[in-house]
Amino acid sequence: MAEKPPSDPLSVWRELVSQWEKSVNSVANESMGSDQFSSSMNKALGASAQAQHLMTEAMSRYLATLNLPSREDVINIGERLQSIEAHLTRVVELLEAFPKSRRRRLVRAAPSMPPRTKRPSKPGKAE
Amino acid sequence: MSAAAERDQTVLAERVRLEIERTIRRGIKGVEYLGSPAAVVGQTPKEVIHKQGTLNLYHYMPMSDEIYRVPILIVMATSNRGYILDLAPGQSFVEFLLKSGYDVYMIDWSTPSPDEKRLRFEDYTLRFIPECARRVRERSGEGELSVLGYCMGGVLSTIYVALRGAQDGVKNLVCFTTPIDFRGMTLFRKWSDQRFFDVDRLVDATGNVPSELIFSGFDMLRPASRIASQIQLWDNMWNDEFVKSYRRFERWGNDTLPLAGEYFRQTVKELIWKNALYEGTLELEGRRVDLGNITVPMLHALAEHDHIVPYEAAGPLIERVGSGDKQQIVLKGGHVSIAAGPNASKRLWPRLDAWLGGRSV
Repeated sequence: MAEKPPSDPLSVWRELVSQWEKSVNSVANESMGSDQFSSSMNKALGASAQAQHLMTEAMSRYLATLNLPSREDVINIGERLQSIEAHLTRVVELLEAFPKSRRRRLVRAAPSMPPRTKRPSKPGKAE
Repeated sequence: MSAAAERDQTVLAERVRLEIERTIRRGIKGVEYLGSPAAVVGQTPKEVIHKQGTLNLYHYMPMSDEIYRVPILIVMATSNRGYILDLAPGQSFVEFLLKSGYDVYMIDWSTPSPDEKRLRFEDYTLRFIPECARRVRERSGEGELSVLGYCMGGVLSTIYVALRGAQDGVKNLVCFTTPIDFRGMTLFRKWSDQRFFDVDRLVDATGNVPSELIFSGFDMLRPASRIASQIQLWDNMWNDEFVKSYRRFERWGNDTLPLAGEYFRQTVKELIWKNALYEGTLELEGRRVDLGNITVPMLHALAEHDHIVPYEAAGPLIERVGSGDKQQIVLKGGHVSIAAGPNASKRLWPRLDAWLGGRSV
């Protein structure tokens, strides 16, 4: 008869951690599913969002007094970059609309690809 | 002392010696861990073939002498980075697809800029994805493509295929862990209860919804798991492979993206409050999103232990689509591990290949 192998000295501790994780998650999920939790969490979230909003406004005024670009300024630059990007996209689209023979010199060609002839190893055996 | 007892004592002594050695190595490796740079991820060679604000379209370089005719366009979830599907050589779904002979493209999202707070479902499903599909068709020279969406990427793909699949040449639709019936997302639904959650106030105040909020939402689903995983890391600190893998997943988990404000508002109001996608009442630009319009072959892979998108939320998708050729598989694993965990290469990936290969010629 095979003998019982000696136990790993840390296996009990590992098992305890695993059990602790499961039970804490289970208990927490139960309490987090209550109306009370949802209400409190959203009150805190709302207050935090409001505080962030006020903070952003105060920071914008502060940056203006230091003669530094505000978030709005950076956003505006971002929007202009976005607009340039959109224009570039349209230019590329126009180039792509050229006949292939004329376009080859203008736009980067796709890498040479292997032939598209592959078939599954068991033909006709799609699951 | 009997021979058996003597043997037990020797084995136990060896085990204790091993634990002492590991404890020493944990100390040394732990110090190294704290000072080491972030894990390298997403190494499979690729080219960014299109970028527009938050949208990035990658084309991965082929790794096979012969490829299937129909290319695949992967649509990543909007809240997370696409490198979860390309963590490291040998642990990369993308690499697996390339080596299996697929021509792979991916829509990956980056942090939306403040002015992109206006992006809506309409932008993602009727502009971004169709534009990428057009580029994939043009670059591959093929009139058809397969679309594969992961989590919310699956929601966007489903909406896209329902509205434009036929005209855009979508040949197959594959979804991983895609929620459709939001009544099944019990905790998210509870936390965003209309009586307590003022989504307008949040979005109006923040513009784009901060990544910290999204991250906390996921983290709160299993509040003890972060601590438990750190204990597990310490326990395995002596094991370089474990630590490397842990760091890649940790990096990805912390790399949660903010969500475009209007898109978040629509998600809460339309998908969570009204359950409009499931009910068939979602309208985008005056067109009703009817999942019955999806008639292409479809595969939906679900995870047995998915705590983010439980079976109740994802299961009904397959019933709702109009495809005659459709299949749902439920595999062991969690929301992330099903697609990117060490066992994905034995479970999901070969199942997908077996299903998709015959439909990609």
